[in-house]
Amino acid sequence: MSIMFGRNLAPDRERLRTRDNMAYNTGRTVLRNLDNSVALTLRQVYKSFGGPLVIEDLSFQVGHKEVFAILGPSGCGKTTTLRLIAGFERPDSGEILLGGQAVASPSRWLPPEKRGVGIVFQDYALFPHLSVEQNVAFGLRSFPATQRDKIVRIMLDMVGMGQYAQRYPHELSGGQQQRVALARSLAPCPVVLLLDEPFSNLDADMRTQMRQEVQRILKEAETTAILVTHDQEEAFILADRVALLNAGQLEQVGTPEEIYHHPATRFVAGFVGEADFLDGRTTGGTVETEVGRFPYQGPLAPDTSVSIMLRPDDVDLAPDPQGEAVIAQRHFRGSENLYAIRLSSGKVLHSSQPSTVILPLGQPVRVQAAPAHVVAFPQDPNLTQDALPTPS
Amino acid sequence: MEAVRLALAITRRDRGARPPRPPTLILAPAVLVAAAMLLPIAYLVVRTAGAGEDAIHLLLRGRTLQVLANTALLALTVTAATSVLGVALAWLTVRTDLPLRRLWSVLLVLPLVVPSYVGGFVLVAAFGPRGMLQQVLAPLGVERLPDIYGFPGAMVALTLFSYPYVLLSVRGALAGMDPSPEEAARSLGCDLRSTLLRVVLPQLRPAIAAGALLVALYTLSDFGAVSLLQFESFTYQIYIQYQGSFDRTLAALFALVLVCLTVAVLYAEGRARGRAKYYRSTVGSIRPLPIVPLGRWRWPALASCGLTVMAALALPIFVLAFWLVQGMTAGQPLQLVWGPALNSAYASSVATVVIVAAAIPVAILAVRYQSPLSALVERTTYIGFALPGIVVALALVFFGVRYATPLYQTLAMLIFAYVVRFLPQAVGAARASLLQVSPRMEEAARSLGSSVPGTMARITIPLLRRGLLAGAGLVFLTVMKELPATLILSPIGFETLATSIWSTTGEGLFARAAVPALLLILVSFIPMAFMAMDDQSGQ
Amino acid sequence: MNLGRRISVIVAGASLVGLLVTSCAPAAAPQPAGKTAGTSQTTTGAPAKSSGVITVYSGRAKGLVGPLLDQVAKDIGVEVRVRYGDTAQLAAAILEEGNRTPADVFFAQDAGALGALSKAGQLTKLPDNILNRVDKKFQSVKGEWVGVSGRARVVAYNTQTLKEADLPESIWGFTDPKWKGRIGWPPTNGSFQAFVTAMRVLEGEAKAREWLKGIQANSPKVYRDNTTAIQAVASGEVQVAFINHYYLFGQLKEKGEYFAARNYYPKKGDVGALMNVAGAGILSTAKDKKAAEAFVEYLLSDGAQRYFAEQTYEYPMVQWIPTDPRILPLSQIQAPNIDLTNLDDLNGTLKLMQELGIL
Repeated sequence: MSIMFGRNLAPDRERLRTRDNMAYNTGRTVLRNLDNSVALTLRQVYKSFGGPLVIEDLSFQVGHKEVFAILGPSGCGKTTTLRLIAGFERPDSGEILLGGQAVASPSRWLPPEKRGVGIVFQDYALFPHLSVEQNVAFGLRSFPATQRDKIVRIMLDMVGMGQYAQRYPHELSGGQQQRVALARSLAPCPVVLLLDEPFSNLDADMRTQMRQEVQRILKEAETTAILVTHDQEEAFILADRVALLNAGQLEQVGTPEEIYHHPATRFVAGFVGEADFLDGRTTGGTVETEVGRFPYQGPLAPDTSVSIMLRPDDVDLAPDPQGEAVIAQRHFRGSENLYAIRLSSGKVLHSSQPSTVILPLGQPVRVQAAPAHVVAFPQDPNLTQDALPTPS
Repeated sequence: MEAVRLALAITRRDRGARPPRPPTLILAPAVLVAAAMLLPIAYLVVRTAGAGEDAIHLLLRGRTLQVLANTALLALTVTAATSVLGVALAWLTVRTDLPLRRLWSVLLVLPLVVPSYVGGFVLVAAFGPRGMLQQVLAPLGVERLPDIYGFPGAMVALTLFSYPYVLLSVRGALAGMDPSPEEAARSLGCDLRSTLLRVVLPQLRPAIAAGALLVALYTLSDFGAVSLLQFESFTYQIYIQYQGSFDRTLAALFALVLVCLTVAVLYAEGRARGRAKYYRSTVGSIRPLPIVPLGRWRWPALASCGLTVMAALALPIFVLAFWLVQGMTAGQPLQLVWGPALNSAYASSVATVVIVAAAIPVAILAVRYQSPLSALVERTTYIGFALPGIVVALALVFFGVRYATPLYQTLAMLIFAYVVRFLPQAVGAARASLLQVSPRMEEAARSLGSSVPGTMARITIPLLRRGLLAGAGLVFLTVMKELPATLILSPIGFETLATSIWSTTGEGLFARAAVPALLLILVSFIPMAFMAMDDQSGQ
Repeated sequence: MNLGRRISVIVAGASLVGLLVTSCAPAAAPQPAGKTAGTSQTTTGAPAKSSGVITVYSGRAKGLVGPLLDQVAKDIGVEVRVRYGDTAQLAAAILEEGNRTPADVFFAQDAGALGALSKAGQLTKLPDNILNRVDKKFQSVKGEWVGVSGRARVVAYNTQTLKEADLPESIWGFTDPKWKGRIGWPPTNGSFQAFVTAMRVLEGEAKAREWLKGIQANSPKVYRDNTTAIQAVASGEVQVAFINHYYLFGQLKEKGEYFAARNYYPKKGDVGALMNVAGAGILSTAKDKKAAEAFVEYLLSDGAQRYFAEQTYEYPMVQWIPTDPRILPLSQIQAPNIDLTNLDDLNGTLKLMQELGIL
């Protein structure tokens, strides 16, 4: 079982090991065998609020010590998923298992206080009438006082808020409050830590800094964490695996690389990173598009209309007076130049170029696309959504 | 103003989500409390069962209906007047740079300590056609002042002595409000007046509605002021039935009509409450509230505060002191009434504790576990507040003497009567306070292993503290003023300041009434000042 | 805790301590001002001593009869526990309580309330020795309640604007249009309603209706009770009011001789000079009937009757006790010849008044 404590506290390791045993005695009836490598399982979970389904047939697993992100647009049901895991909502059907034990199923339902699931809310929800110290100590009721104080100190040091122990939440900035919220949730050794849009309330540079901080803390604490966000960059940076949720349905689960390079559906492709879609037609072994012909070995029959996904880094351009495309826009982004190119058909593609390459608007160019692999989606929605990569 | 509306943040999660079933710890006491509140209704139904055609005929005659209409009109105008006054004064004392803000905060709430049966006397004595004011103006040739009796007088009296209900409610809301929507509005080009009307006022809706509800029901149930100012209200009709014909059937029938009126008022308030959430969901350190500089408007503002305090507080005290002095110079000995004072304080304290404790589950149920049942439970608690005290008293006589004989005419039953009559004050205050606490707090506590009762004790109730204290203060002095139930249900010999006042004013012995009246006001100052100061320091 | 809170805690604590300390000091017993109540002198008709505890519901105010009731234990050994309240409300409470009522004796401000209890069968017949002390006119025909002190109907008038000679000889004179806007009355008051009932009995329904309509035509001001009415007369708000005689004296005591109102007894022997009574009855469920009877007998004893004459300025029921010199002696009141028991039935009066829109 994971032992959670700060960096230079090796001598305390032994003493705190017994704390793990005590975590089981805090009244949480859960979770004997965390040697089980799966921390959380959702199986065919459905949820509605008296109307249309908010969560539909949701199934996934989160491994022990894994950082798992649920990514999707507003209203896709990701916060509801979190609340189902935490126990604040009850699924209409399906099962939720923590550490192999069912906490929500047709025959059983465990209330939140018994699940050992920590949660950091979007607005942190620190208790305004308690000091930072008292907030962090809140979940450690069953521990003897000296032990409790020690854990609180360790946790506050881990999140870098040691000097603020006596302060009150309203005296802290957003980032500081978030750290305290983290420390509070981590103190009682939760099986899973849930984070609801943790960085949405921070400004940009705070966000970057806190991402790194949180990443460090999660690794150090060796906690299984589930992070809910609508920010793809955030999910990619922090998570080991990402699940894409759209209108309550799971579109894809995979590592960030898998999702980025091999999106399972058009929605995923468009949501994660920038993507343009170009019309094409399959022929035996290839797919023909306006900008060229690419090898294709997917399952779609020849002569099917498809949309090819092209990312800006797949598209290259070269000035060419005979080129059929023209530069429509240039966005300077500091690290790169993003060009919008209008093809002769009127379609617009984007190309990522080094920041020093500056081409004037209206310049005719020749477009070359070289995707590492072709991701093609059939235009007819009735056909299987299949975009198997071809080895290249 | 989309940005501003968005800033008011009705989140998708809260819209349409059905809350979980409430835990028994909260549901059971709340339902019990509501059931207790229904005793007066049960009594009224039993009594009206024997109503004959005569009774119905009397009920439906033109005059009764006219009285009903007049009463409704009075309730409406008083509610409107107190709302305007309450909101204005609350805003002046919380959000502007009015000089001596703290002092005004305390003083402006104090008129609640004046019972309506004293206030009415005072107003007539002071402003009657041949009252004190007329006598002061007599050298100027003023023979007779215009009549204050009837609708205008009743309206003024009720407004003056009940506006603090709205003031307290709104003040708490203003202090706890998130300033972001206002700032958003100002940045979008709204001037102060526009911001107030379009952003601040809508956010204050539940608070205004809660205060106005108390005022409306109080107006319906009041007998002291309307009888002294000669306004024939519906409650007055009820008393006539008891007075003249000892006909409890007819009185009960009339009281049931009053209950229907109450239900209508409750419905209106429910609509006015709105469904938005009002707790702060932005993060970061809590910014201090924006203070509006008054500039030269300071003087009119000070004048209006001063005038209100003068009319509603200084005047009664002055008139009472005058009577006292007058009596003493005519040879009346000063009779100190410490016994009744202690009784009043004791009964009020016990009642306050019980009432606040009873209000907590009802408020939690109403706010955190919204459902038709919880709404019904919460609404039911208001019935007792709207009924004239005599009806509640007789209802408890009916049930008490039959089903709770050992408790009959003990302090316990009297306290119970107070609960039935005044619970809504505490419920309203607790509710308003709870609305400003994010439910995430409680969820965070539960995720940290705290059980439902544990969360209530460690998180919910401490966060409600301010609202509960406000409710407690309000309840304390309302119980001190209570009269009809005390007369009938108190243990024999248990005299309170209210009964002392009544027994002397009833015989015109004003000098003797002045002492208990002044004592009542004095004793009531203590919890009110306490409350007001705690309110201030908490800001 | 910040300073403000500390101060308020100290203030609150000090006030509470102050209250506690002063309440331990012997409370000043409400002493009747002026002469002591007619208590110690128990001459002829002195009640025998008994014992026991009784509960009295008194619609008569503590300020008026308190001193007398406090003396009961001393004089006859019966401990009296009194609930003071409003006569009508107490009567309603007794009716609600039914035969479980803790009350033993009901001491009412007017006969109507007693009549209602009698009609509901809750009163028991009083012993003859009590009933015989009082004129038949002033007791219930079934002997279930007895008058204890009398109150005469008078017209109070403002002395600054009127002299007695200006007033009409009979109350019928007030229907004259010249009295428009100068009259006050308390239509919800029990005595007033008894007065109207007497008029209906003596003169007939039609004449009663005529009188009421006549006064109504003069736009009378409505007051909620006799007290506010007489104060309005004194202040000049109205110039005359129809009330009971003894209110004047309470006001004189409080405000002194300059109180600008006096009583006028209509000269003609019509209903305007009606005598009404405050009375007492024993509940049939009284536990200690002997003690209750001793109490009622005490109220009719010389001592108590003298109290009523001297302290509350009412007319004693016992004939040889003299009345206050300032009130018109019973012999000079040309009271109408009417059986008060007929006033038990108020419903007709109320119907009439409601019909005319007075109530």
